[in-house]
Amino acid sequence: MSAPDHMASWVAVALVVLATVLVGGFGLRISRTTSDFYVASRTVRPRLNAAAISGEYLSAASFLGVAGLVLVHGPDMLWYPVGYTAGYLVLLVFVAAPLRRSGAYTLPDFAEGRLESRQVRRLVSALVVGAGWLYLVPQLQGAGLTLKILTGAPGWLGDVLVATVVAAAVAAGGMRSITFVQVFQYWLKLTALLVPALFLVLAWQGDGRPRVSFDDQLAVFRADHPLYATYGLIVATFLGTMGLPHVVVRFYTSPNGRDARRTTVAVLALVGLFYLLPPIYGALGRLYTPELRYGGDADAAVLLLPARVIGGLGGDFLGALIAGGAFAAFLSTASGLTMAVAGVITQDVLPSRGVRHFRLATVLAIAVPLVGSLLVSRVPVADAVGMAFAVSASSFCPLLVLGIWWRRLTPPGAVAGLLLGGGSALLAVAITVSGAVRPPGWPHALLAWPAVWSVPVGFLAMILVSLATPGRIPPGTNAAMTRFHLPEALSSARAAAGRER
Amino acid sequence: MSAEPTPRREVVTGEPRRVRPLPRYRTQSEIDEQTALGGAYVRSLMRGQLRAGLTVFGVLALVAGTLPLLFAALNSSALVWAVLGFATYPPLTLAAWWYVRRAERNERDFARLVEGRPAP
Amino acid sequence: MTGAAVAVVVVLAALLVGAGYLLGRRTARPVRPSDVGTPVEHATFETLHTASLAAPPLRAGLTEESARRAARRLRSLLGTDALCLTDRERVLVWDGAGHHHGKDVMEHLQVLLDNGRDTAFDSGCGDLDCPLRWAVAVPLTVENRVLGALVAYAPRESAVLARAAGEVARWVCVQLELAELDRSRTQLIEAEIKALRAQISPHFIFNSLAAIASFVRTDPEQARELLLEFADFTRYSFRRHGEFTTLADELHSIDQYLALVRARFGERLSVTLQVAPEVLPVALPFLCLQPLVENAVKHGLEGAVTRSRITISALDAGSEAEVVIEDDGTGMDPERLRQILRGEGGTSTGIGLLNVDERLRQVYGDDYGLVIETGVGAGMKITLRLPKYRAGVHGS
Repeated sequence: MSAPDHMASWVAVALVVLATVLVGGFGLRISRTTSDFYVASRTVRPRLNAAAISGEYLSAASFLGVAGLVLVHGPDMLWYPVGYTAGYLVLLVFVAAPLRRSGAYTLPDFAEGRLESRQVRRLVSALVVGAGWLYLVPQLQGAGLTLKILTGAPGWLGDVLVATVVAAAVAAGGMRSITFVQVFQYWLKLTALLVPALFLVLAWQGDGRPRVSFDDQLAVFRADHPLYATYGLIVATFLGTMGLPHVVVRFYTSPNGRDARRTTVAVLALVGLFYLLPPIYGALGRLYTPELRYGGDADAAVLLLPARVIGGLGGDFLGALIAGGAFAAFLSTASGLTMAVAGVITQDVLPSRGVRHFRLATVLAIAVPLVGSLLVSRVPVADAVGMAFAVSASSFCPLLVLGIWWRRLTPPGAVAGLLLGGGSALLAVAITVSGAVRPPGWPHALLAWPAVWSVPVGFLAMILVSLATPGRIPPGTNAAMTRFHLPEALSSARAAAGRER
Repeated sequence: MSAEPTPRREVVTGEPRRVRPLPRYRTQSEIDEQTALGGAYVRSLMRGQLRAGLTVFGVLALVAGTLPLLFAALNSSALVWAVLGFATYPPLTLAAWWYVRRAERNERDFARLVEGRPAP
Repeated sequence: MTGAAVAVVVVLAALLVGAGYLLGRRTARPVRPSDVGTPVEHATFETLHTASLAAPPLRAGLTEESARRAARRLRSLLGTDALCLTDRERVLVWDGAGHHHGKDVMEHLQVLLDNGRDTAFDSGCGDLDCPLRWAVAVPLTVENRVLGALVAYAPRESAVLARAAGEVARWVCVQLELAELDRSRTQLIEAEIKALRAQISPHFIFNSLAAIASFVRTDPEQARELLLEFADFTRYSFRRHGEFTTLADELHSIDQYLALVRARFGERLSVTLQVAPEVLPVALPFLCLQPLVENAVKHGLEGAVTRSRITISALDAGSEAEVVIEDDGTGMDPERLRQILRGEGGTSTGIGLLNVDERLRQVYGDDYGLVIETGVGAGMKITLRLPKYRAGVHGS
């Protein structure tokens, strides 16, 4: 395997890490005098916030995984990026503005505020931690793979390295989920894929435009029940986006519900823009790195292509750019998730608060998925992320949608839905990852893509149990609904009227 | 802060009061919000917003539900690659844009209704 | 085929077992009656339950609305045909039969409202079968003031009813006293905020106006701007509604305050602000930072210090926001500061600190009090942590 030049890639990775730390750590240390205050006091505008959300959202699965899957399994795998994007549309129409207006910072906050129950809050916390860990495992594995391609180091080293860097950075408070860092990461990731893609396409044209064929061979376990798997994927990604912990947290930054909506539209546009690129890498990978179809490291296609297609110094440079982008993807998503999970652990799991506990929680938040990433056999990055989406779609989606739109939701109903929907999806994923049920046959398909059945189970359980316990409707339901849906123009008009009185 | 030796500082905090953390605030703010506008008004707004959301979601579900079947029937990888890789994103963004316009119009109409202003 | 058959059998079996279990629970009778309570005990439970239902409305005080909601429960507690609650002027609610008796109740209550003693009277109904021929009235008192009366009706004289009405009225009084307590606690908070507003006013308003006046000739444009800042600042500080605000609004008001202060002190005061935009939507108690900044300004400009530096930062710390206000002024004796925070300060110096500390603890719990680092001549650094979300805390 002809790897790109190590030195250039190392420099790129080091630069990304350094730039991230610098922007995060010192960007806001730039002192502001009072005359600049008006600039700072404007809350984050929708477009800036959207770039930040996109920066945090585009993970290793998007950067490396999609192209790898297209390379191995063909263009059907493009449902992943479509789902990651359409998830924001669903989030927009059902959740965005009311979630912002609820004032909740995390999902447990939302659950407690809406259902007035500590019990539901604890359960949601547990699921948030579970889904976050599931999402972190592939990030670490992707980092391990990248480092292996770059340096030939053993696979586990990269996992440990990224986990350590993220834990240290988050615990030291140097890499907070600050808007500007994430904005920087988005544009970096876009550039890191866009520029090499332009050169690759030019090289391909110079090559006489060979035709890409997707028709020859598809992997065995996908071919089993491909249509079912596709639907499982669609349901999980369309409905799962709204519940991802690091996505929810960012909505708090919008100044109000109306801006939260506009932010979401901008996110859709930015994320969609980014996803125009991986299909190109997938198709070119099919042509120029065909051997990756049979090995386990298809996710490496994006990293290897520049050296393979262009070669020479230019290839090395472009490869280094991609390596830098990939590391930006690991760092932004992994640190955002670690922050979110550690926050929930400090608030709802560990007994007392304080800085020391947050550090302990950070270590816990990253150590568990690290152990997981080392023990578990390598699942393709995008597939593993899909599982996290399935858990989120079967637990948080019913909670958010019914919590925002349905007055008769009760705490017992929410608990039943979370346990039956989210719990069963989590269990299915655990069985799949453990390898207890192997590919051919329906049992494996049902467990590997649980969303098709677990989402209806979650919704039904929540609705039926709520209807059976009408006495438990929280007393503040009407007030909460009013707060979720009342436009800001009216709330402020009311405040002004209060001032007159 | 500065280079010259400054006198030492000590950390001072108040003593614990052990008061109940919240309850009263909660009911207070909720009563405020409940009485200000009738539940019927809010419910009508919710219905309007939900209808807009369900319209978009319905179209999305219909398209996403039939596309895989269509792809399976046509069996053309190049078509799948082109449609999923490039053609889906503009309509998604447009749908989002339409929804936001619709939702904001609903909210403006509602505000006018509540404040008793006539339509412009 | 066999698979389907097995599935059907399993489902049927599960349904049968479930039905059997439910049926068993329904029909099962306890072996010894005492296990589930004697009739007397049941009556007690029922009474307690009814009483607990009547309590919440009464906690809002004695109004037409609360009386209406409580009356039905109280009547079922007493088991009478009609019951009425009054305040000092009129009948608040009549529950049960015979509304027409309501119009002359107040005449019978004149004495009771004056001296607060129980009384009984004949309703004066001509109809011998009327179930409301006799009534017992008990005053409702809070802190020795008669707020109104509870009147229970019966077909004939009944000592049992008289006694029961007395007990129920006493219970109602306890609820009303609690309501009074609630109200006074709310008033206390409002009074605290008012005290803060009052504290800002005299000196600051005088000095600001003086500073603005000094610009009127030399720099009218500047004077105009300052006047607008002043207007905005006072509007915010004296606003009447809501216990909570957002960090954005609070910092904005502080910015205006500082502009006014610097108009007066000019170069002597330098201020640095660092604000992470992520924390601007955080909700916090109204006027929580203002007194601390004012404190920092006062310390900075006090005594021999000629130039003073104040740093205000609001940073993102995960699920919390961290606000730090630091000055390099005269500082304070830590022992004295401890006294102030214990509420033994006395003078006006620390009232702001104490008030903010108390309100933060009240809203967010004891973990969220002020953390102050200071020493004599060592400046002062005040750190606050504000949770990004707390149920019931919504900035308006």
